[in-house]
Amino acid sequence: MTTFSPPTEADQDPVPSGRPGARRGPRVSRRAWRAAAVVAVFVIGLGLPVVVSNPYYLGIATDGAVLGILALSIGFLASRCGLISLGHTTFFGLAAYTFAISTTNWGWAPLVAALFAVLVGSAVGALVGAAIVRTPGIGFLVLTLAIGQAFYQLSVQTALRPLTGTYDGIPIIYADGQTMLGRDQADMGDASQFWPIAWTVLIGFVVVVTLVTRSRFGRTIEAVRENEERARFSGLNTFTPRLLAFMLSATGASVAGVLFALKANYVSPNVFSFVTAGDSVIAALVGGWTTAVGPVIGAVLYVFGQSELGATGNLQLFTGIALVVTIAFLRTGIVGALTSLWSLARRVLLTRRTR
Amino acid sequence: MSIANLLNGVAFGALLLILSSGLALIYGLRGVINFAHGALYMLGAYVAYQSVGALGFWGALVVAPLVVAVAGVALELGVFRPLEHRSHVEVGLVTFGLAMIIERVIVLIWGEDTLPVEGPGGLAGTVSVFGSGYPAYRLFIIATAAVMAVGLFVWLQRSRTGLHIRATSQDPEMAEILGVNVSRLSLLVMAVGGALAGVAGALAAPYFSVQPSMGQAILIPVLIVVVVGGVGSVGGAMTAALVLGIGQTLGNVWAPSVTVLLPYVLVIGVLLWRPTGIAGKRVV
Amino acid sequence: MNQAVLSADEVGVSYGGLRAVDGVSLTVAGGELHGVIGPNGAGKSTFMDALSGRCKLSAGSVSLGGEDVTGRSVQWRRRNGMSRSFQRTSVFPGLTVRDQLEFVADLTHETELDLVIEALGLGDFLDVTCSSISYGDQRSVDIAMALIGRPTVVLLDEPGAGLTKEESARMLDHIRGLCREREVAAVLVEHDVEGVFRVCDTITVLDRGVVIASGLPADVRADPQVISAYLGSEA
Repeated sequence: MTTFSPPTEADQDPVPSGRPGARRGPRVSRRAWRAAAVVAVFVIGLGLPVVVSNPYYLGIATDGAVLGILALSIGFLASRCGLISLGHTTFFGLAAYTFAISTTNWGWAPLVAALFAVLVGSAVGALVGAAIVRTPGIGFLVLTLAIGQAFYQLSVQTALRPLTGTYDGIPIIYADGQTMLGRDQADMGDASQFWPIAWTVLIGFVVVVTLVTRSRFGRTIEAVRENEERARFSGLNTFTPRLLAFMLSATGASVAGVLFALKANYVSPNVFSFVTAGDSVIAALVGGWTTAVGPVIGAVLYVFGQSELGATGNLQLFTGIALVVTIAFLRTGIVGALTSLWSLARRVLLTRRTR
Repeated sequence: MSIANLLNGVAFGALLLILSSGLALIYGLRGVINFAHGALYMLGAYVAYQSVGALGFWGALVVAPLVVAVAGVALELGVFRPLEHRSHVEVGLVTFGLAMIIERVIVLIWGEDTLPVEGPGGLAGTVSVFGSGYPAYRLFIIATAAVMAVGLFVWLQRSRTGLHIRATSQDPEMAEILGVNVSRLSLLVMAVGGALAGVAGALAAPYFSVQPSMGQAILIPVLIVVVVGGVGSVGGAMTAALVLGIGQTLGNVWAPSVTVLLPYVLVIGVLLWRPTGIAGKRVV
Repeated sequence: MNQAVLSADEVGVSYGGLRAVDGVSLTVAGGELHGVIGPNGAGKSTFMDALSGRCKLSAGSVSLGGEDVTGRSVQWRRRNGMSRSFQRTSVFPGLTVRDQLEFVADLTHETELDLVIEALGLGDFLDVTCSSISYGDQRSVDIAMALIGRPTVVLLDEPGAGLTKEESARMLDHIRGLCREREVAAVLVEHDVEGVFRVCDTITVLDRGVVIASGLPADVRADPQVISAYLGSEA
């Protein structure tokens, strides 16, 4: 039984599932076109700071890109595997804190610290995944929530103050003279300098997720989502594909966590908070998690909303409204709604032309 | 370990018991986790705060459950029924969003400050329990929870409606085939669940004070208790509530850093060992 | 007669105190279509669950090609030649028909998927999402997935359920044909008793969890115990 059904009409599904070996000929050039499009988008996107010089909007784009990676990790797991996680903050926060601790407390080089942080987040992802991926339905959701909140509690425990700084968090300080990818610490906090890093990683992750979704493995995990029992009765060991998908998702969240820490030059328990956990899921959902770009769009919108509404305290109100409206009316999120509008417009235009 | 500490644990567990029974009822009947239950509790507390001035504490204790029961009915008619054919997860997420909306609207109405609520004058003092004085009000909370627990049990086990609720929780399709009016039952359960949340909120108001974060703060413990207790098991939720309440309060005295992890360790341990929860009849 | 490919030896399944299946034995050879019939509640589906590994045995054993497979997982059994279809159609609703058939074909190293597609007439809606096709066609997909990969043993749980008489009869004929062609040992649980008598080589009759008759269709048909079990339960 699906917990979340992707749209079934072909024109509503922007990311059709892959069929290895189904068609020859046209498919090859289609792939080439797609690859070219991705490269074009990437190159154009790199130039964003040239077009948008306003640091406010650039900051939103950058933060949105980073949150987008987290949201996409969550969205991938939710839509492809039917596993909704309210605890991806576990890996996001763990990676952020690991980066902060290894640079600030241990004086490691930032690049090494970053890679180590992703490694730690992914390793914990593997352990957590192995433990919980077999639990069905709501149980999985509650387990992820519990694990995430347990980490939150750990991050504010006075007993761990030397390590975590509890509520004050950790202001990140690189060891003397260290640079990260050619930039020194102050530059990292500058959106126009950080943007190329965030954008590159984002595009990379979107490409990875898309390729995985369209691969044979992607079809396998969809089958497990659609009917886990039948998949087992077809000879599949369903644990492994689910675990691998979870690990990919956890790694994405860890990467996002490191990027977050890099840009903010500061980590606080907020990275583990319930609000962060919930809001990242909502961003992915509202954006439209059946696609790879949906969660990113949702994340950018959320960051924008956060900037505009943060002071008023009404962010949660609008986030809640967005969630309810999306599930009730826009089942495939904003991307889905836009795609439907586009198909509708195309149909209207076409019928007009043929009259 | 003093008697006072133990009783504090029981008092907290008692509040959790009342609140979680409501959530367990709803979960058992509809199969949906009502993430807005913390918001309903919060609503009860704020309504109690609002009514205490005019009606006194006892009046507030009547008004709050009534108002939240109406809110529960609104939830049933406005959310659960129209979205009946959607998956449980989707409906659960909608309640999650509603919780955010309700909690913010409450703060927009009543403000960000912590609001004090005076308990009933008659229960302001202490009572001697095993030689030491203990606040009478907290004993009242415990007593109320005990009465509600017994009442709920008798209702579920002995009455026909209770039988219908238990049957539908076990097997909704079968119950409907056998003639149970599931829609009417849902309405009743949402009203009762709401009322219980309202009572818990009103009772908590003098004890914990009324503040913007209270809805979110109580949601996770309540969720954990219901899931640990098991799907469709009100008794399981009640037991888990007491265990958590006592365990957490006592643990806080001995080893606060570790105890804070207790609810999470509990739910993780139980779910991994028994995905149905301890007394559950269906998989969570 | 070919060697026994599937054998069940004194299989028992208990739920708490209730013995759903008790002391049931049978053997099926390659190319043999073995029907299992019985009144409602006889334990037929439970027996299928026991054979396929979906439920645990409380007594007895199941052997595949002479090897005891009682403790083996359902995945293992499928990968080693034992497949099953389901009483309640069990397909992948969100996947297209082609995708799910290819999914199973990959897992079972099937090289001639087209033959199965043709045999069950699935060619017309390969690229349609499974939830959009008719119930009868979904049923065919369910059964097709059990036939992919050249299984040596196929367990079919009420393949005709929910189909019209003609569709059911056609389904049974298809199965009959495929089994003979591929020398598959098949166990068929069915409510359509006439159909079973028509296509099956051997029949076992269950009532309340135990075997009350077993053998050639003609003999089973005339068995007084079988008659009373059916007539008695219809009373």
